[in-house]
Amino acid sequence: MPESPDAMMSPIPRFMPLPGTPPLVEMKGIAKYFPGVVANEDVDLTVMPGEIHALLGENGAGKSTLMNILTGIYQPDKGEMLIDGYAKSLASPLQAIAAGIGMVHQHFKLVQAFTVAENIHLGWAETPIGASAPVLEARTEVLARRFNLETRPSARVSELSTGEQQRVEILKVLARKARILILDEPTAVLTPAEARALFAALRAFVAEGHAVIFISHKLEEVLEISDRITVLRGGRKVATQDAADCTVKGLARMMVGRDIVLADMRARPQGAGPLAAMPVLALDKASTDGSGGAVALKDVTLAVRPGEILGIAGVAGNGQRELSQVLTGMRPLSGGQLLIDGQAVAKADARAFAKAGIGHIPEDRLKSGLAPALSVAANAVLREYDKPPVSARGMFSPRAALALARSIAEAAAVAIPDFAMPVRNLSGGNQQRLVARREMRIASRLLVAAYPSRGLDVGAINTMLRYIVELRDAGAAIILISEELEELLNLSDRIAVLHEGEVMGVLDNDHIDIERIGLMMGGQRQADIKAAV
Amino acid sequence: MIDLRTLSRRGFLNMGALGAASMMLPAGVTRPALAAAPLAPVKEEEAVVAFSHVGPISDEGWTWAHHQGVLAVQEAYPKLKKVLEVENVPYSADATRTFRQFVSEGASVVFDTSSKGDFLYEVVKRSPEVAFLECDGHTVEGNLGWYYIAHWYPTYVLGVAAGHLSKSGRLGYVASFPVPSVFCSTNAFLMGARSVNPKATLQTIVINSWFDPQAAAQAGTALIDNGCDFLFGIMDEAAYLQVAEKRGVWAAMWNTDIRRYGPSAYVSSIIIDFRKFYVDQVGKRLAGTWAPGEFILPLGGGVDRDAWGEKVPKEVAAAADAVRDKILGGWSPFAGEIKDASGAVRLAAGQTMSEKDLYDWDWSIEGISGLNA
Amino acid sequence: MGPYRLQRFPSAAPGIALLARLGAIVLALLISALVLALTGAKPGALALQVVTASFGSQFGLEDLGLLVTPLIFTGLSVALALKIGAWNIGAEGQFYAGAFAASAVGLFLPVAEPLSLFLMLLAGLVGGALWILIPTLARAYAEVNELITTLLMNFVAVLGVYYVSTGPWRAKGANSTTARIPAEIPEFFGSLHWGLPAAVLLALLLALALARSRFGYEVRLAGSNPQAALYAGLPARRRLIAVMLAAGALAGLGGMVEVAGTVHRLQGGLSNSYGYLGIMVAVLARGSLVGVVFSAALMAFILNAGIILQTQGLTTSTVLAVTGLILFLTAIGDELAHYRLVRDARA
Repeated sequence: MPESPDAMMSPIPRFMPLPGTPPLVEMKGIAKYFPGVVANEDVDLTVMPGEIHALLGENGAGKSTLMNILTGIYQPDKGEMLIDGYAKSLASPLQAIAAGIGMVHQHFKLVQAFTVAENIHLGWAETPIGASAPVLEARTEVLARRFNLETRPSARVSELSTGEQQRVEILKVLARKARILILDEPTAVLTPAEARALFAALRAFVAEGHAVIFISHKLEEVLEISDRITVLRGGRKVATQDAADCTVKGLARMMVGRDIVLADMRARPQGAGPLAAMPVLALDKASTDGSGGAVALKDVTLAVRPGEILGIAGVAGNGQRELSQVLTGMRPLSGGQLLIDGQAVAKADARAFAKAGIGHIPEDRLKSGLAPALSVAANAVLREYDKPPVSARGMFSPRAALALARSIAEAAAVAIPDFAMPVRNLSGGNQQRLVARREMRIASRLLVAAYPSRGLDVGAINTMLRYIVELRDAGAAIILISEELEELLNLSDRIAVLHEGEVMGVLDNDHIDIERIGLMMGGQRQADIKAAV
Repeated sequence: MIDLRTLSRRGFLNMGALGAASMMLPAGVTRPALAAAPLAPVKEEEAVVAFSHVGPISDEGWTWAHHQGVLAVQEAYPKLKKVLEVENVPYSADATRTFRQFVSEGASVVFDTSSKGDFLYEVVKRSPEVAFLECDGHTVEGNLGWYYIAHWYPTYVLGVAAGHLSKSGRLGYVASFPVPSVFCSTNAFLMGARSVNPKATLQTIVINSWFDPQAAAQAGTALIDNGCDFLFGIMDEAAYLQVAEKRGVWAAMWNTDIRRYGPSAYVSSIIIDFRKFYVDQVGKRLAGTWAPGEFILPLGGGVDRDAWGEKVPKEVAAAADAVRDKILGGWSPFAGEIKDASGAVRLAAGQTMSEKDLYDWDWSIEGISGLNA
Repeated sequence: MGPYRLQRFPSAAPGIALLARLGAIVLALLISALVLALTGAKPGALALQVVTASFGSQFGLEDLGLLVTPLIFTGLSVALALKIGAWNIGAEGQFYAGAFAASAVGLFLPVAEPLSLFLMLLAGLVGGALWILIPTLARAYAEVNELITTLLMNFVAVLGVYYVSTGPWRAKGANSTTARIPAEIPEFFGSLHWGLPAAVLLALLLALALARSRFGYEVRLAGSNPQAALYAGLPARRRLIAVMLAAGALAGLGGMVEVAGTVHRLQGGLSNSYGYLGIMVAVLARGSLVGVVFSAALMAFILNAGIILQTQGLTTSTVLAVTGLILFLTAIGDELAHYRLVRDARA
């Protein structure tokens, strides 16, 4: 990250608790067991007033279980909890809310068809009875100003960006007088600018003597925002340290128990041929209509060659979704051309694109890449169900499907106890790995990977990126859409920057200037920057 | 007010006279019993008697009247093993299930108080040891008979009253379905009225239900709006009586005495009474003398007019009752010449309709609108 | 805290689910028995009566079979539509439409009985499919919610059949039915006809076809997550149309079988709400087409018990209350089946 945390933060004075002030939350010796799994054991967590406390750990490290205990969803099998120095058992989420503990989950729980103001007031004892929409909106406006969380009270939630939805979720929790705010992966869905605004709001919140528990995998961001960091691994606490004493490397080691190298992966294996001249896929002044108020693509011109990784940088919500849909035949063009191997493709047809060797790791795997309620096996064969051995002459062979699913799971290094269980029972990371492996099987020409590392922990991210490099080395083209600049810089041969549906420019990764990417993400064109410099 | 019990008893006393006038006897009237071997006698202690009703026994109408018959059977044969009574039996395959269940329970005699047709015959065919009686039926088998009431006579009497009471000469009728009992009811009613006022007409609205207070009330309102000042109908409830009361016109009803829903509008009712018939039939079945047949209960012997309403002028009541006495004396009002709604002569002068003709009547006489076969 | 705890699992083990169901039914019956005993009835005798009358006599078994048959057809109709994510609330209307079309053929097309039956079958299928055609196209092309449209079509069909059977097609002298249809589905056990084995076979074949065909896979995928269907590029709209029309045809076939096998005349009350009960049957079957046969059997038993109890002097409302209690507790039992008693994994 280019800037130091202190430089970015507005000068809000830190809250200093008086000596002898009890912690807001103290969890001692917490244990929670599930059949065959130790979810938490012997975990201590102390959160002081005025602090942002990060909870760090890989998928399955026990972060969610611990927070579910703190919010009254689970009862601990062992251990005790003190709130404000008093022992308290939280038997239900309602009791937790009453105790001032509120949580914003990774998957929002808002009513899409309601307005922001209605969502804020839904199920809230303080909602005035029979209040009209303007009254609710005025109350929401007041709350938003008080907590420094900008929203549009009269807008429907379905019209909001994810960042805006998250602000509504936070506002909803804060309005109910939460003193301890728990955020689960809050920045996973935010643009860098939105993340900065969130951090500022969190700082202001803890400055009043409240506390934030911040769950994340992103090490830099954890260092940037938090005062202290607790690392969990395998359900146990590894350490709690002051953020000032931590380094990215040290944290990563504590999380996974070994050293992790995030490094340049652009190097090709020896003997790899030069990049072919003919692009696998090209867009020529491609435009498309947006849906639901989303930004459409305007005159996008891009090309990707076999064996090349083209990175797409940009703040989320600037046309990435539409771009990945256009590239995979899910969305028709309203103007311009899409060419595969130099041939213009007239019709958007996702099946034909897949058959042509184009794989797609979608932005939201549960929503579009998988059928959550169907079995692991059914999901694993989604790309190859209609050809032998899974299908022949219209007949579908469950046995062949199972065999294919097994081999995909094996390649993805995901242990699956029962291929008949719904795929939603798998953890997010395992879902992502399965989807990635499934897509890599068919992506002989091109893989469109949208945010492939979103929601994964450090170890899993590394595996995922290695998959992508493997595929590139095998001669496929990759289009990598990401919000992690580091990831893009580590992998991409070239980086295109997207802003409001337009390509601001395509940069060669050899002599790249992060400042320049930042300016392009903000809407300046490559040509204009050159002129200005 | 006439006590129903006295009335029926008097009715039965008149039976001999009716028989002499080739009128209905309550035993196998239009057709002699089939020559099948009679069902063996059953001991009262071992006998099960079953009734299936179309509506709830609390309906104050058709089903309530049949329920009085059930009570009479229980009173007459207190030692019966079981009396089964099922309400709200739909006109569907569920009716078959109910009848089958009766048979499974060991019923000796089954009364279907509202014709279930095929749904009953299905069970009749396969239960030769059980006696079945279908109200408003059409089929006689070795173990199946049917019964009904000669409602056309009291209806004619009410028609006479209507002819006197209606100023406009426009009569209204809330009908259930275009079925013979409705054709016969409308025809008899208008013939009675025309015997007083030859220009009288009858407008009919079919609501496709025997029990639908809302539709009946709407039909009643529409008829009054069309200028009718006397409402009649064939409903198992009192909705159009209430409409008549509110709008200040006359109304005559069916089944039971429900004058309290419209005391000023109430003229009279077609009162039905199956008590004697049910007790008789059960008795014959127990004794082993039951035989299937077609039973039409006569005026005074299962059907009659109710006591006249409080607002009905004495001279109108007397005029109508004079006609009733005439009928009890053996006179039939249903004699030629009768023209149908298209004006064609359907019954030549000098001819008289038989009870079976009346029961099966399926065309409208001249002057009736709204009812098509 | 003891060494054992209850824990919810995302999927229920089949054995436990079955046990929970049986437990729910037993509990519902016990509660009903208690209430009946309090009102002075003899629950033991009633229960014995229900069981012997249902299973102990040919009449009872025939009644069950005749009730199960239409429920399987409408249950399959609703369950099949659910496979592609559509709620067919209109099985009632399609049942009537199928019965109507079949009756038209049976009454007015003077051909030999086997041919007549075959043409009635086709007419039933087409009638049911036509009745869901508009809701299907509205859903496929205009995203109009099929829940409402299929429901509204019910009223049209019910009243339409009512009209023809009390009006133009009414048999002379009949209250509200057409004449008897000459062609009849042959009977094999008393009045039980071949419609029942056909229905069971159809359920098995459909389940097999969905599990073992490419089409079936596509239907399951598109039904489970339309977004994923778009992502996979499968012709989701064509599958939706095909499946919804097939669902309508199934209900229509149910109407044909009812009219040609059980009732033999077209009339207003032909369906004892079989279409609506089919929704309950499908929900109880939890999406399994084979399960529809069993939940239809349960539903038929409950309905039949209702008739038996009525002859025992229980009022309709009591019977309805017992029925509701059984279904209610079954739903709770289904949820509880997700819980298992587990031993703490404490070292």
